[in-house]
Amino acid sequence: MDADDNAFSELIQDYIVECLPLAEQVGDAFVELERRWRDEDEGADLLEPLRGRLHTLKGNSAMMGLAPAQAVAHALEDVCALLRAEPARRSDEVAALLVGGSGLLIDLVRSAANGSKPEAAAEFVEQVRSLLDASPSASPRRRRGDRRVAERRGDAADSSSSVVRVDFRRLDAMLEVLGEGMIEQEAVAELYRRLPRKVRATDELSDLDRGLLALRKTLKRLEGILMETRLLPISSVFGRFPRLVRDLAQAENKPVRVVTAGGEIPLDKAILDRIGEPLMHLLTNAVVHGIESPEERARAQKPAEGTIDLRATSESGRVVIRITDDGGGLDDAKILAKARALGLESRAADPEQLRSLIFLPGFSTAEEVSALAGRGVGLDVVAHAIHELGGTIEVESRLGRGTSFTLNLPLTLAILRSLIVEVDRERYAVPISHVAATVRVEPDTMHEMNRKGVALWRGDLIHVCDGGTLLGTGVAPNGSRRFYIVISMGNRRRGILVDRLIGHQDIVVKSLDATVGRPDVVSGTTILGDGKVACILDAVRILDQRMSA
Amino acid sequence: MSGPPGQGADSLLRFADELERQAPATEALRPSPELHLVTFALDREEFGIPIEQVREVIRVGEITRVPQARPHVRGVTNLRGRVLAVVEIRTRMGLPAAEITPRSRVVVVGVHDRILGILVDGVSQVVKVPTETVAPAPEEVLSPGTDYITGVARWNSRLIMLLDLEKVLLLPD
Amino acid sequence: MPNAFLVVDDSKLHQKMYKLVFSQGALAGSTVHQATNGREGYALLAAHPELALVFLDLNMPEMNGLEFLERRHAEKLHPHIPIVLVTTEGTPEDEARGRAAGAWDYLRKPFRPADLERVVARAFEHAAKRSA
Repeated sequence: MDADDNAFSELIQDYIVECLPLAEQVGDAFVELERRWRDEDEGADLLEPLRGRLHTLKGNSAMMGLAPAQAVAHALEDVCALLRAEPARRSDEVAALLVGGSGLLIDLVRSAANGSKPEAAAEFVEQVRSLLDASPSASPRRRRGDRRVAERRGDAADSSSSVVRVDFRRLDAMLEVLGEGMIEQEAVAELYRRLPRKVRATDELSDLDRGLLALRKTLKRLEGILMETRLLPISSVFGRFPRLVRDLAQAENKPVRVVTAGGEIPLDKAILDRIGEPLMHLLTNAVVHGIESPEERARAQKPAEGTIDLRATSESGRVVIRITDDGGGLDDAKILAKARALGLESRAADPEQLRSLIFLPGFSTAEEVSALAGRGVGLDVVAHAIHELGGTIEVESRLGRGTSFTLNLPLTLAILRSLIVEVDRERYAVPISHVAATVRVEPDTMHEMNRKGVALWRGDLIHVCDGGTLLGTGVAPNGSRRFYIVISMGNRRRGILVDRLIGHQDIVVKSLDATVGRPDVVSGTTILGDGKVACILDAVRILDQRMSA
Repeated sequence: MSGPPGQGADSLLRFADELERQAPATEALRPSPELHLVTFALDREEFGIPIEQVREVIRVGEITRVPQARPHVRGVTNLRGRVLAVVEIRTRMGLPAAEITPRSRVVVVGVHDRILGILVDGVSQVVKVPTETVAPAPEEVLSPGTDYITGVARWNSRLIMLLDLEKVLLLPD
Repeated sequence: MPNAFLVVDDSKLHQKMYKLVFSQGALAGSTVHQATNGREGYALLAAHPELALVFLDLNMPEMNGLEFLERRHAEKLHPHIPIVLVTTEGTPEDEARGRAAGAWDYLRKPFRPADLERVVARAFEHAAKRSA
């Protein structure tokens, strides 16, 4: 497509308006990359956002018939891809090439309305080609299509490394099939158990028992391996934060830097996908409300540049992420005042409880409405997102010194450690992360108040509801309840009366079919060891609402 | 061009064959002259679903009740590791819920890539019914809210009510 | 009858290009709804069952084209509205992947106005056949 007879030529100004800032951002990033390389820093986090920008530049230039700009953007994409595959290729020469190329791209975009001179672009493309030719993994002689396929989501084998890219959905599919296999194994084991003892004792069948056990062990091991493939390093989420915080800090006119650690810790992709937003909200809050203005910091004799420390650690099967800023900290007096205004002061017995009130809806003590106020999302939204993942969030603070948020997350969503309970002959799975305790019912600790049962538990009065009523079993409470379980989330607690505690089990979570609808008390289903389906109690939802039972 | 209903199946089939021979080349755009149905009984009434929508028919295992499920969802059951929703078609039609007997079955159907089960009293058989024998459902059969019956096939002195599965599954919230 | 289209693309330049094409020739007078990310686009799709066609860019932040298609497929949102996946990629494998995710057709960038018009014409033909 020729620029002269391009149908979109009247949009050339729009092209420049959209692409010039993009090209400049690319240029900035390459300059920063050059600086990082000099400090022996790989700068991997810089390369990721560049992908999208260069891609857009390439596509837009192509649409406008601007072949030189398209070629340069394409060449830059290739170099970035090379750096991702072989980080060791970074050098002064490559850095200069990138910076030079981005400068050329900026010029081409800027002068797009005047028609472009293709010579400079062709020369640059040649330079990149000779660079790539020297590399085994990114041969430009490969068809364009091949490279595109290798770069995108899909299956591809990188010839120079032992890494294979697999579509995440394939992993899920594999796990499902494995799950079916495990159920079938269980069914066979059950059939074996039903055989009369005499038959089981015969020579022919005596080995069957061992065989089945071995089969089960093998399947379990396979399950473990598959679960591991879903794990990705946290750095895939942490990576974009330094740049985002830098942009945010610039908008706020406060110098702030982010320090990350523990990026190599693996976390299930399903959780990673959902943790980015809450973390970004917390970082935004830290920059906008946590870190003070440079003047205030000077007065407090703090370093001019604020620091946000973002750290991940692995602790007994859970992942702990801590976000700490060296800002002004939480003002307890303001929180107390807000609590009074909302009528919640009864919940603020000690400083710890007081501070955890900030996770309640409607609780923002920031007076100013800055341009970014819309992005200073309420902490209740963040807390909820964390709870939905089966995690917890806590806050610590020292006035004048800073604030620290601690997120505690499970390693994976697909398998849930659960407590199995029975209510009116129905079985339910309750995620252990939300079970604070299981208590045997003593008649004298139950008090009736407003038709809501209340119990004294660890010195607190908590609401207790009947499991059968909550779950609509249709059986009137008849004194069969022997236990109550205490489910908890953050500050909230509730007791649920049940008949029996069956045991602990690692269950595979299966989401509810759309046909069934959207119950409030159940979040999914699972298949128990005996092949029967059990519903999973939605502790988060139950604690969210004021459930009367 | 319609044969009198209730006449012998043979003459109807011959008639349908004749129609088929005379059909123009663009057959694909017209409905086939025969409906291939899986029929099942509910309380002495007989119903039919197009066989293309039926994946399999299984015996009724344990159906786990789901609290706060939509109306007419009897529960869920384990189908080889898949959790299958089971719809109680009887209550959907205003009949009392089924008592599960050894004859009860779950017809596993696929609609728009959704797979679910329909609890029925018993599966009769698979039949091929000439399209010509299908008439709009008579007034006596229809009541407000039975828009899921797309027609009635009078065939072999039987009355088979044709179900529109999509409408059946458009359950009230 | 005026036609309604939805364009989901994070590039404002492309949005303008679409609008340009939809303001000329046979498609003049069409209504064009716009969204700059998958999430917005999804909300617009839900709000407009009368859409004739959706143009969905593959590479977008927040919810890319494939994720959009997957969600649409899972939630059965307006299955009668065809969605055209728009992308710079072009191998048959990419195309198959797009179609498997539920894209009705595939439009490669860079495209000319004629390409766009052709896709629209095909969509109308298909709709006419279905209601026949």
